[in-house]
Amino acid sequence: MLSIKNLHASIGEKEILRGIDLEVKAGEVHAIMGPNGSGKSTLASVLAGREDYEVTEGTVQFLGKDLLDLAPEARAAEGIFLAFQYPVEIPGVSTTNFLKSAVNEIRKYRGEDPMDAVQFLKMFKEKMAYVNIDQSLLSRALNEGFSGGEKKRNEIFQMAVLDPKLAILDETDSGLDIDALRIVAEGVNKLKSPNNATIVVTHYQRLLDYIVPDYVHVLYKGRIVKSGTKELALELEERGYDWIKSEVD
Amino acid sequence: MLSAELSTTLQDIAQTLGLESDQGKALSQFLAKGFPTSKWEEWKYTSLKDFNGIDRNWFPKGNSNLPVSADWAELIIRSSDAYLSIDKASSNDGIEVLSFDEFVQKCPEFQMIWANKNPILDQNSLYDLNVALCPQHTVIWIKKDVEIAQAILHQYQVNSTEKASSVQSRLLIYVEEGAKASLIEQQTSTGSADILSNFVQEIFVSKGAQFTYLKDQDFQQGVSHIDHTFIYQAEGSQVDTFTFSLNASLIRNNLHFYIDGPQVVSNLNGLYVPGENQLMDSHTVVDHRMPHAESNELYKGVLMGNATGVFNGKIFVRQDAQKTNAFQSCRNVLASTRATMNTKPQLEIWADDVKCSHGTTTGQLNEEALFYMRSRGISLAAARTLLLLAFVQEVINKVEHPVLRESLTEKIIAKIQQSVDLSN
Repeated sequence: MLSIKNLHASIGEKEILRGIDLEVKAGEVHAIMGPNGSGKSTLASVLAGREDYEVTEGTVQFLGKDLLDLAPEARAAEGIFLAFQYPVEIPGVSTTNFLKSAVNEIRKYRGEDPMDAVQFLKMFKEKMAYVNIDQSLLSRALNEGFSGGEKKRNEIFQMAVLDPKLAILDETDSGLDIDALRIVAEGVNKLKSPNNATIVVTHYQRLLDYIVPDYVHVLYKGRIVKSGTKELALELEERGYDWIKSEVD
Repeated sequence: MLSAELSTTLQDIAQTLGLESDQGKALSQFLAKGFPTSKWEEWKYTSLKDFNGIDRNWFPKGNSNLPVSADWAELIIRSSDAYLSIDKASSNDGIEVLSFDEFVQKCPEFQMIWANKNPILDQNSLYDLNVALCPQHTVIWIKKDVEIAQAILHQYQVNSTEKASSVQSRLLIYVEEGAKASLIEQQTSTGSADILSNFVQEIFVSKGAQFTYLKDQDFQQGVSHIDHTFIYQAEGSQVDTFTFSLNASLIRNNLHFYIDGPQVVSNLNGLYVPGENQLMDSHTVVDHRMPHAESNELYKGVLMGNATGVFNGKIFVRQDAQKTNAFQSCRNVLASTRATMNTKPQLEIWADDVKCSHGTTTGQLNEEALFYMRSRGISLAAARTLLLLAFVQEVINKVEHPVLRESLTEKIIAKIQQSVDLSN
C-alpha cells in the first residue's frame, strides 16, 4: 500500500529525514517510535503533504501513485488521513459543516455524487457510536475551546467519517489521560480492517498496549535504525532509547 | 481645490439658488473647501482629489421603475436620482412618508427637536454640497407607539447617464416615542457611468423607541457613494445599525451616534468586502453625552484583490456620561497580498466611572488551519471560502430577518468565491 524509499526531507537548511525506507501493507499496524527530535512528526507531516518541508530525495508510492506529486487535499481523497498531534481550531465552522465539506470534496475528487443531508445524518449517527462522541460537540466550532481529550476524540471521529485507507496517528496519546486514551484506541481498533493500514507515531509504549502493532520501528536522527515486533516496544519501555543511540552513534 | 471650470459652474448654480439662501450659503462653503483630499485628516486614505476636476451633471433627471417584490416588507419606498420619489406599495396608518415642509406643518413639535439638535461633528464639504444641491428632505414618520411588525424597504437607486453625474439625496426619519420599526435600505445603481452618490440621513429616535437600520450597499463599479448617517437617540431608546458594503468603486460611510439621553443602547454592526479596485471606508462616531448608556460596535472586513479598507472608530464619553459601557471591535482579514487595511480606533474619555474597550486586528488566514482543512480533503479554494465565510458570519448572524440573512450570505459567498478562484 505504502512504499517509502530513501526519503530525505528538510525544513529550511536543516535536514530532518535522512533516508527513510518503509513498506506498509493493507491490514498492518506499524508503530514509529523514537526519542524527541528524531523526525517522527516530520515523517507524518511529509506524508500528509505539509508544505513547510521540502523533500530533497527519495520516493513515496501510495497505491501505485506518486504521493509526493499530490496536493494535501488530493492525498486525503486518495485515502490518507493524518490525526494531528495538535488539532487546529477552526473558528466559526462546526465539525458537522467541516466534515460535510470534506466528504463532498472527496466525493467530487472521486467522481461521485455529493451526499445529501439525510444520508449525512445517517452516516454521522453510525460513526458517532465508534468514538462515543456527543452530538453537542459536533455542532460547536471545530476544536474551539475543546479539551485535549475532546480534540483527539474528534480527530478519531473525523477518521471514522472519512474512512481512510492509511491512517497516520501523530502522537495521538499526548495530552490524554488513561480513560481518553482507551476510548481513542478503541475507536482506532474498531476502524481497523484487512483493507486499511495504520501508522502510529508515538514516543511512549503506553498507546501500544491498546493499539497493538504488527511492526515497531525506531526512528533516530532521521533514519529507521531498528525494526521489530511489539516486543521491541516493550524493550524500549524498559530500557529507554539510550542503548539504541549508543548502538547507532 | 476645485478646477476653475467646475468652480465657475458651481458659482453659477449658487447665483441661481440665491447667495443668501441656505442652499446658496452651503454651496459657497463647499466652493471654499472643495472635495476632501488626503491632506484632510479624516480623509487621509480616501482622497477625492480627482473629483475637484470633474464637471458633472449636477441635476440629473430620471426615474426608475424598479421591480418590487418583497412580501416581507410592509411599506416600500423607492428613490432615484436627485429626488426621493415615494411610491407606496402598501400603506400603513402608523407611517407617513412626506416632504419636510409638509412634515413640520403636520408635526410642529418637531421644529423644537430640529432646532436643538446637536451640531454635526466632523462636518465635511460633502455635507455642504448635499445641503446645497438637494432641494428637500424626504421624511419617514413613524408614529407614537406604532409597532411595524415587518420591515420598511427603502430602495435607493442611483442611475447613470452617459455623462458623469451627481446624485444628492436626503432622508429624515422621525421615530416617535415608544415606536418600533426596522428599515431595510437596498442601495443599488444602474449603468456604469461615473456617479457621485451623496446621501445624508438624519434619524431621530424618541424616548423608549426601537429602530433597526440595515444598509445593503451593492453598487456597480463606477459609483462613489458617500453616506452620512446621523442618529440622535433619546432616553431609553435602542438603535441597531447594520452596514453591509458589498460593491462600489468607493464607499465612505460616516455613521454618527449622538446619545442624548440616559439608558440608551446603540449597536453598530458593519461588514465590508471590497475587491479589486474598490475602496471602502467606515468612519464611525459614538458620542456618549448622557449616563447609563451602552454602545457595542462590531465591524469586520474581508479585503480582496488590491482593495483598500479604512476603519476609523471614535468614541467620546463626555463628563456627564458616567456609567457608560462602550465597546468597539474591528477585525479584518487580508485575503490577498495586494490588499491594504488602515485602522484607527480613537477613544476620548472625560468621565471617570465608565467601562470602555476597543480592539482592532488585521491578519491573514491561518496557514495551519488551511493545511488542517486540506488534509481532510477540502481544496485550498474551498478551505479559504469556508474560513472567510465563518469570519463574516458573525456579523450576518446578527441580522434578525432570515430572508435577508440568506440573501446577504449568498451575495457575499459569491463575491468571496470569485476572488478566491481568481487568486488560484
